[in-house]
Amino acid sequence: MQSPEYLYSAIVLLALCTAICRAGYFMFGHYISLSEGLRSALRYAPLAALTGIVVPELLPWHPVDGPQVDLRLLAATIAVGVFLWTRNGFLLIVSGMVALWVSRWIFGL
Amino acid sequence: MLDGMRAVSPGLIALAIWGVVTGVAMVKAGLSEQQAVVMSLLVYAGSAQLTALPLMAAGAPLWLIFAAGIIVNLRFLIFGAALHPFFRDLSWRKRLFLGYLSVDISFIVFMSRYADAPKKGTFEQHWFFVGTILPAWVIWQATSMIGIALGAIVPVSWSLEFGAVLALMAMMIPYVTSRPVFASVVASGVTAWLTQLWPLRLGLLAAVVIGIAAGMWVEMRSRPKVQN
Repeated sequence: MQSPEYLYSAIVLLALCTAICRAGYFMFGHYISLSEGLRSALRYAPLAALTGIVVPELLPWHPVDGPQVDLRLLAATIAVGVFLWTRNGFLLIVSGMVALWVSRWIFGL
Repeated sequence: MLDGMRAVSPGLIALAIWGVVTGVAMVKAGLSEQQAVVMSLLVYAGSAQLTALPLMAAGAPLWLIFAAGIIVNLRFLIFGAALHPFFRDLSWRKRLFLGYLSVDISFIVFMSRYADAPKKGTFEQHWFFVGTILPAWVIWQATSMIGIALGAIVPVSWSLEFGAVLALMAMMIPYVTSRPVFASVVASGVTAWLTQLWPLRLGLLAAVVIGIAAGMWVEMRSRPKVQN
């Protein structure tokens, strides 16, 4: 695991992110104007970043063995199906966890 | 203020689940309980915390963690622009306090009630907003602490950290409502898959850039048709 100095630095920087994004416009909104093009680009950025985090967790790529497929992908697919059916975020989380545990038990992993 | 509390209460259940998941995820990513508590109190942003944890566990450079934190928080800049007219006349201390503690549901609840208000920045509006952010803060911190305690007890073999990935997905999917957004998500997903062996997890940056480009490209291609 990483050193405490590294982890606390990351935590302080993330707190700064919260302050800049949430209070930035409140504090300096008198001086800022966002162009339409920039606003449009900003709309896509958060989802693209979240996708960039989630995909490597579901489809890891081993340095030697190449792309990996494991039961997490199966569990996530089932969870998305449950969400599209019920529109309930809580059920997505629960069904994904249960699907992972059950499929591991079935496949004996 | 009581009106604000009443209006925000349905959203607090989702917030509570999210808080527990984030609390567990922090401990399972390798933070000590003390570090997790400090992170929850200072950062107070579930999506940014869940985004940063895999980066922190991989030892990614601090500037990339900062950049990722800014990107997933960008929506608050847009919210802030919409809320600004209501709070512009307050002192800078109050603006900093209210801004720092504002969350998604407080914005949604506030705007659905006051977006068309003829007079912006009334006493009633300010206290309504306070009524939405205070319960959210209390519930979030309490459930995060429960998650941190659980994370220390539950064995690793349960893979509870997978709950954090699922929570991010639960947050993302409702926003995939149009073709440009879908294109953006697919493009950034493929990029993230192909670039994950890049050093320092820089593939994340590539995924964001390609994702934005794809979204804007599909948006521009579909626009002239609408005008004709």
